[in-house]
Amino acid sequence: MNTASLLVFDALLMLTLVGLAWAALAGSDERLSVILFIAFGLVLAVAWARLLAPDVALAEAAIGAGLSGALLLSAVGSRPRGASRTRASSMQNHTEEGNTRVLQWTITLLCAALAGILAWALLHALDIGPTDMLPQAISANLATSGVSNPVTAVLLNFRAYDTLLELAVLLAAVLGIFALGPATPGYQPAGPVFDGLVRWLVPVLILTAGYLLWVGAHAPGGAFQAGAMLAAAGVVLRLSGRSSIGLPNGLTLRIVMAAGVGMFLLVGLTLLVLGRPFLGYPPAWAGTLILMIETAAMLSIAATLLLAFHGGRPKSHALAARTESANAATSNTCNEEQTP
Amino acid sequence: MTDAMIWLVALPLAGALATLLLPRSATAAAIGTGLATTIAAGLLLFGVATQGAQQYEIGGWTAGLGIALRADGLSALLLMMTALVVLAASVYASAYFKRPFERARFWPLWLLLWTSLNALLLSGDLFNLYVTLELLGLSAVALASLGGKHAAVEAALRYLYVGLLGSMMFLAGVSLIYAGYGTLDLATLARVVEPGPVAWSALAMMTAGLLLKTALFPLHFWLPPAHASAPAPVSAVLSALVVKAAFYLVLRLWLDVFANVVTPVAANLLGLLGAGAVLWGSWRALQAERLKLLAAYSTVAQLGYLFLFFPLLLALPPGPARDLAAGGLVMLALTHGFAKAGLFLAIGIIQQRCGHDTIRELGGTAQRLPVTIFAIALAGVALIGLPPSGAFLGKWQLLAGAVATGQWWWLVVTAIGSLLAAAYIFRVLGHAFGHQPYPNQPVTVARDEWPALLLAAMAALVLGLAGASVWELLEIGT
Amino acid sequence: MMTAQWLYGLTGCLIVALGLRGALLHDSLLQRIVAINVMGAGVFLLLIAVAYRGPGLAPDPLPHALVLTGIVVAVSATALALALVRRLHAERDDD
Repeated sequence: MNTASLLVFDALLMLTLVGLAWAALAGSDERLSVILFIAFGLVLAVAWARLLAPDVALAEAAIGAGLSGALLLSAVGSRPRGASRTRASSMQNHTEEGNTRVLQWTITLLCAALAGILAWALLHALDIGPTDMLPQAISANLATSGVSNPVTAVLLNFRAYDTLLELAVLLAAVLGIFALGPATPGYQPAGPVFDGLVRWLVPVLILTAGYLLWVGAHAPGGAFQAGAMLAAAGVVLRLSGRSSIGLPNGLTLRIVMAAGVGMFLLVGLTLLVLGRPFLGYPPAWAGTLILMIETAAMLSIAATLLLAFHGGRPKSHALAARTESANAATSNTCNEEQTP
Repeated sequence: MTDAMIWLVALPLAGALATLLLPRSATAAAIGTGLATTIAAGLLLFGVATQGAQQYEIGGWTAGLGIALRADGLSALLLMMTALVVLAASVYASAYFKRPFERARFWPLWLLLWTSLNALLLSGDLFNLYVTLELLGLSAVALASLGGKHAAVEAALRYLYVGLLGSMMFLAGVSLIYAGYGTLDLATLARVVEPGPVAWSALAMMTAGLLLKTALFPLHFWLPPAHASAPAPVSAVLSALVVKAAFYLVLRLWLDVFANVVTPVAANLLGLLGAGAVLWGSWRALQAERLKLLAAYSTVAQLGYLFLFFPLLLALPPGPARDLAAGGLVMLALTHGFAKAGLFLAIGIIQQRCGHDTIRELGGTAQRLPVTIFAIALAGVALIGLPPSGAFLGKWQLLAGAVATGQWWWLVVTAIGSLLAAAYIFRVLGHAFGHQPYPNQPVTVARDEWPALLLAAMAALVLGLAGASVWELLEIGT
Repeated sequence: MMTAQWLYGLTGCLIVALGLRGALLHDSLLQRIVAINVMGAGVFLLLIAVAYRGPGLAPDPLPHALVLTGIVVAVSATALALALVRRLHAERDDD
């Protein structure tokens, strides 16, 4: 592919991105905004692939567009029929007409100025840089890191502390969601077509997740992408109206939620007690330790993302079974949300 | 002693997992974790005092490739304050939340909040700071929304929204820094950064994001509702520690990492906003009908005082005068932390016993809850800045610096602010000491009241009397 | 400095500004959440653009790891925000 056609491709991609971002935030139809945002996420994944960032492309498609989109769509769809929009009415001091034209133009100009300042700074930054100090250090230490995918090495070895805290962020979000109330009402049982698709899709997703986890050590992939696949399997199960979405209950669920952070702490503190630095893997053991941590992290990520979509603590299995039989008695072939 | 830094992050995090997995023994696990973490903070403070600034490279990788934790006098003192405040608030919270499911929801998030505070204060890496800021924001929002009341959920949503805007702006700044300098390590950056478009824009973006999170006037609108509607121990930590963490980052970036990039004009802008915060916050506190709102606006005002130091610190040449002023700043920050926490805990007691926190109807509480009112009085002493509180030393340095650099207008602002503070504190005490026929049987429950009293006493007495050692500690590393 | 880096970086700056404008102007809580996510995407574009070294050359893996972390943090925050919005509506319906 010569540089001219690449440039055309780049220009088209960028115009699409900016256009989708603009369209998603113009107008006041929430459902349209969310759908355009999902499209934006998918085009962004293409951009990541173009910029030679396949790990990020996988994660963006699965988490950024996929799960975020699913969360937003279910929030749009769950509002009562009477309400037209999620108005921040009591949060605003403005009149019912919304912001005045003057305010709108001022903010638009200020944001345009911000874009200009950022671009100007970026121009200078790219003139000074890019320094290759860190990429060279990463390549130099890749051999002893236990994996050969440099992104995995950074995430799970060099900057593992960041990943540890990030898993804590996920945990905090889900704990906050738990505290806010019960899970959202489920969906009606699926019709035969969707049901058949689900029976085929879920095992494939689970297998893909396992593959992504394993291959992450030497190719694009890893715990986050794998966890997102597992969560997607659970989301699909939920959308098809099943009561059991693959999540355990009670203490087992809490153990799975805590597993990612827990494994990190276990490995890190054991190494500390044994005289090594915190999370300083011995080179001979690094690959194994990273795989252990990634497996636990994958389960945690899957559980927490699925719980976030679920909206709260899953009901116990007995209660779920009773609900399922009641639903079967009154179900129809359409797949829509139960009225709360 | 350097291991203490890791334990300061690992212990509360492990405690959060423990309280999640064992909800029935959650309170015991939490208090145990609290004690252990406080000991670790003490060990770190001791280590910094005797051996100087500490560094810990996680994973053994050199800072830059990996993430380094760093502690100097400033961060060690703030870590100690964090530990003491959170421990005291934990003791209070163990009695505040009566029902088991409330406690099961509270403790894991509470300990995650503590983890994020410690991780933030110790972090030596710009992106790591972003992650700690996000953890701090999410756990604070989740805690603020506990209880599920409409006002609390609405305020928490606004808090989350503002917090996310701030984090995004901070991250934009971090990206510019990486684009220009190829490193995220604070110490390396301090050596290589130069004035120029990259440094200015990056610092501006990061500061804008942090100012949102520290609720500096006029970006303070989210704070009063969020702090006033949260449960009492959460309000205490939000006002005393969470906003202070963002301020600490502004301080670290302006005085340490980007020291040769900041200009006096920018510092004066910060000082101007701080003056606005002092005047507006104190005025609104005086008008407040509810104790919790008064305390929240008082936080806005007190943070303003901290920003008044910036133009002074930049105008003073490096040397003893500047060190004294910097010490005054830290003294003021520490005192406010203890005083505000004690105040919120005391208000929580009043709210629980009297069923309300309306100021006009406080008559008789001085007889019924003498320890609590005494704690409020002590906290008030520290908030106004009367001797022997640490705030007195801090404000004295502020005035001295203003006179020395000829910027007398900050003097006027401080004076007005202190007068207004005196007014709103004495207004509260006046109502509390109002005469009402009441049987002379004070109601004292130790677990509730002693934490508040001890925190307030720390602010009003201990810090002021121990001032000299604080100044010595600050010499280390800065 | 390469053209692709500069172009994608500029796109990132534009998208950050678009996201911020949306976040400040919209009344709808849901659209504000979308706006913040868009803003995040803009910052990620900045980072990945800076990491790019040219066709066929290995990019700088550090910003890739940072963006991965950022994506997960963003979805956590979105999930919590949506749960708060849902709770707010439930309260309103009960009134």
